[in-house]
Amino acid sequence: MLELKNLHARVVPEDGPAREIIKGLSLSAPAGEVHAIMGPNGSGKSTLSYVLAGKHGYEVTEGSATFDGEDLLALEPEARAAKGLFLSFQYPMEIAGVPVMTFVRAAMNAQRKARGEAEVSAPEFLKLSKAAAAKLRIDPEMLKRPLNVGFSGGEKKRIEIYQMLMLEPRFMILDETDSGLDIDALKVVADGVNALRDPKRGMLVITHYQRLLDHIKPDRVHILSAGRIVKSGGPELALELEKTGYDQVLKGA
Amino acid sequence: MQLADLPSRRNEAWKWSDLRAAMAGQETVLVGTAPIDDEGPISALTQAMGDAYGPSSLVIEAPGDTFETRITEGDAGQYGSVCVKSGATATLIERINVSGSRLRPFILSWSRIAVEPGATLRRIIVQENAVPAGDADPAIVLNEAVVTLGEGATFQQFVLAEGARLTRFETSLTIEGEGAAVELDGVYLAAAKRHADLTSRITHGAPGAHVRQLVRGVARKGGRGVFQGKFLVGRAGQKTDAEMVHNALLLDEGAEVFAKPELEIYADDVACAHGNTAGQLDENAVFYLRQRGLPEAEARAMITRAFLLEAVPGWMGAEIHDAIEARIDAWLEARP
Repeated sequence: MLELKNLHARVVPEDGPAREIIKGLSLSAPAGEVHAIMGPNGSGKSTLSYVLAGKHGYEVTEGSATFDGEDLLALEPEARAAKGLFLSFQYPMEIAGVPVMTFVRAAMNAQRKARGEAEVSAPEFLKLSKAAAAKLRIDPEMLKRPLNVGFSGGEKKRIEIYQMLMLEPRFMILDETDSGLDIDALKVVADGVNALRDPKRGMLVITHYQRLLDHIKPDRVHILSAGRIVKSGGPELALELEKTGYDQVLKGA
Repeated sequence: MQLADLPSRRNEAWKWSDLRAAMAGQETVLVGTAPIDDEGPISALTQAMGDAYGPSSLVIEAPGDTFETRITEGDAGQYGSVCVKSGATATLIERINVSGSRLRPFILSWSRIAVEPGATLRRIIVQENAVPAGDADPAIVLNEAVVTLGEGATFQQFVLAEGARLTRFETSLTIEGEGAAVELDGVYLAAAKRHADLTSRITHGAPGAHVRQLVRGVARKGGRGVFQGKFLVGRAGQKTDAEMVHNALLLDEGAEVFAKPELEIYADDVACAHGNTAGQLDENAVFYLRQRGLPEAEARAMITRAFLLEAVPGWMGAEIHDAIEARIDAWLEARP
């Protein structure tokens, strides 16, 4: 589903020199599987998620990224979203003056339009929204408030997953979704994510800690270090990391 | 009055709105007009364009009345006074429509407004410009109100300025009685070849006023927005609680916004603040919206719209609020 081959990417800040962060990353994440990417701070985890989502200032210099065989890197961010790519942000943006539901409905209809589908009707939308909010234990009043404005870290993450449930993407990238969540919230969020697991969907779970993977069980675990995947394995690799730390595992790699 | 009498960029109060330069070539309308007196150039020009009926005068005693005026190019200047008597509540709606006509392209209003003790006046100015985005128009729109507020009076004002060759909305408020309440909000939309100036000055001559001012504006390439705001709190203005905020978004390279927020305070027990920003759309926010599937133009419009709507007050009522919202949407859709 998602194929990365020898990907090299750099961050180009508006003021300052470009820095190469992703240095020859290859990864194959087929439909139906959950792949975890773990790595120490600065290993390139968030950069990878931004490169895949198409953020400005992130430049691919070599290699390829395909989504269902199509060149992902040639698409605008909104076209990637319409194809079914969803990034749950590590730090979701606050959008003043735009209520959560207004925004999600606009996004949903924009995606449908891009795919040549009919708009979602108001009753259908409300039904979906009610179900998603209940699943994530989100107070419906919150969905009338401006997107993420004044929300706590945990609330923002729940709203990310709410959007994910609403938009029903085919491939999800979760960037440090566990940060800012207490253990109860983590479980609620993980349940929401797991509800979307199915043989036609793929998922990349980017995390620093193992604990999210107790709730979202990965099929494969990859360790990212200095912009490359240095070790891959089954779920046991995450447990090993938790026990021994990155230093130990990286030394053996 | 001659062209040389009009304020130009050399005058501090008009440095970003050069009236003399804008009037150049139109000198003939000034022939035989009276000189500029203490009421200033907008008053003099408005009277110069006045008609045979002379100044108008409106006294409002009954509560709940709404008065609406409509003015466009070629109309006589509106020069007059309004008095809202104690206990009365009134709404004034001034509609200013720029059509792009080259015949007498002046739209001028000057009013003296008294809000007596305990009275409430809501003033709404809706200045629209029907000329297609990107096209120049010759219109000069000048609108000034000199307002006095009595004890416990309320004055709420909202201005929508779509700009023209030169537009200036000037409000001079003097707080004469204790405990007045003021809301001064505005939105300006400066497309290419449009100039929109919101200038205000509040003189606090009595204690305990509560003042909130929020002006938001956007400018595109070749457009100019101007905000000048001043709070002058004299010794008599103790316990004044006043806040002035102006935020602008420059939507393109080559957009211009000039701002001068000023506080001049002589009383020692006041809470006065001002905030002023001019910047670009947050690209991280734009990316966030695009990641969810909104096309770039839609993402930008959504954020800009929400930014502007925060300065559109709820007290105007749904009908006018919706109409203003529709103007903002239309403006955002009409790329020059």
